[in-house]
Amino acid sequence: MNDVIICRCEGVRLSEIEQAIREGASAVPGVKKRTRAGMGPCQGRVCQRVVLQLLQQPPSEAGESPDALQRSRSPVRPTLLGDL
Amino acid sequence: MAENVIVVGGGIVGTSTAYYLAKMGIHVTLIEAQDIAAGTSGACDRAIMLQSKAPGPMLQLGLHGARIYETLEDELEADLEYRRGGGMILIETEEEMTAIRELVERQRQAGLDIALLSGEQARELQPGLGAHLLGTTWWAGDAEVNPLKVCFAMAQAAQRAGAAIRMGSKVTALLSERGRVVGVEAEGKRTYADAVVVALGVWTPLLLRTIGVELPIVPRKGQILVSERVPAFVSHNILSGAYIAAKHRKDGGKEEAQNPAGVGLSLGQTGSGSLLIGGSREFVGFDLSTTPQVIRAIGQSAVRLFPKMAGMRVIRAFAGLRPYTPDGRPVIGPVEEWPGLYVAAGHEGDGIALGPATGRIMANLAIGRPAGCDVAPFALSRFTQ
Repeated sequence: MNDVIICRCEGVRLSEIEQAIREGASAVPGVKKRTRAGMGPCQGRVCQRVVLQLLQQPPSEAGESPDALQRSRSPVRPTLLGDL
Repeated sequence: MAENVIVVGGGIVGTSTAYYLAKMGIHVTLIEAQDIAAGTSGACDRAIMLQSKAPGPMLQLGLHGARIYETLEDELEADLEYRRGGGMILIETEEEMTAIRELVERQRQAGLDIALLSGEQARELQPGLGAHLLGTTWWAGDAEVNPLKVCFAMAQAAQRAGAAIRMGSKVTALLSERGRVVGVEAEGKRTYADAVVVALGVWTPLLLRTIGVELPIVPRKGQILVSERVPAFVSHNILSGAYIAAKHRKDGGKEEAQNPAGVGLSLGQTGSGSLLIGGSREFVGFDLSTTPQVIRAIGQSAVRLFPKMAGMRVIRAFAGLRPYTPDGRPVIGPVEEWPGLYVAAGHEGDGIALGPATGRIMANLAIGRPAGCDVAPFALSRFTQ
């Protein structure tokens, strides 16, 4: 059970995130676009910190750049289209 | 003939160009400031829609691109979520009906057998459409694809064919010798080549300006909403008549005053089940923020056209910068005053449909081969002379 699920909304496993990093993802948005981690209903609230830590092993400068984290996206919480 | 080419930019145009060059056995290096699909190609919708292209050179290039997509999954050995499910333009008012009838007539003359459906016929084909619709167009040849998957698959196929890809490396200067571009400088490192292709979309003018070349590509922001995963809801591309009006309009018209953010509906469903609900067309520089007013306007137009969508949840909104040009056509070809320098940029909202075709044309041009189709309408010289 080493291959744990990192993104619970999209069911993305550790191995998939490591693969994305090997393919060149250097920040959270790059992992997101390759694996869908962070694209689900919680918008990365659960997995983003873990993904960032994985990106920093070995430690890199990714954490210091403002682009390293994905943006928080409007409308922040799932919102009914009818309520817009 | 060029044996060694640098491609600047890792969006759909840059990765496609690199792929076709590598496939021809050319030594190619793709240099990208951030990551593959980090810019416009990673912040757009999924349509390969031909019926909405302006009749003429854009439609011809679109047809060329559509043919490439038909076999691209096999060629790249990748799932691209390609689906040829057809497309429709929704007509809400008599004014739109008149404009769309004209467009359909011109497209038919160009060889696209687009049908005009009554509201009833359209609701049969696409359940959930609002009862007030006067009708829709329908063309079975429209398709869709996951643009992220296309970019990553192009980059990987290019690498398998021998291309080198350098990410996180921003090109800051073009190197010239005796009136010719001979390479680039990125992060203080100089790399030389026989030809340099700039495929930087909205950022293209910033690099070309460093050697005195001006081109009129301007960022035009498009905001898009993403829904939660829902059961199969739409199986084709859908655009509203208002979207078409915003796409083809000129600055300063009556429509611009009524709809300053250029909101019109575009709708598609991803392989995961989320709906991509666009969009807007706004000239606000390089600003990438999403705004409550536009999110609300897009949501309202979605619910007006598809009342059932009122019960679906939006989980995020994002914005991308479409590379607008004054005549709505991209720039594809050489920079005449700088031998060795080429540009492939300025596709506005048509980059996904036209990216692979542009890459194939650009790869040919960069090594001195015939383009394979008429590229005169896309020459940079139409703006500089």
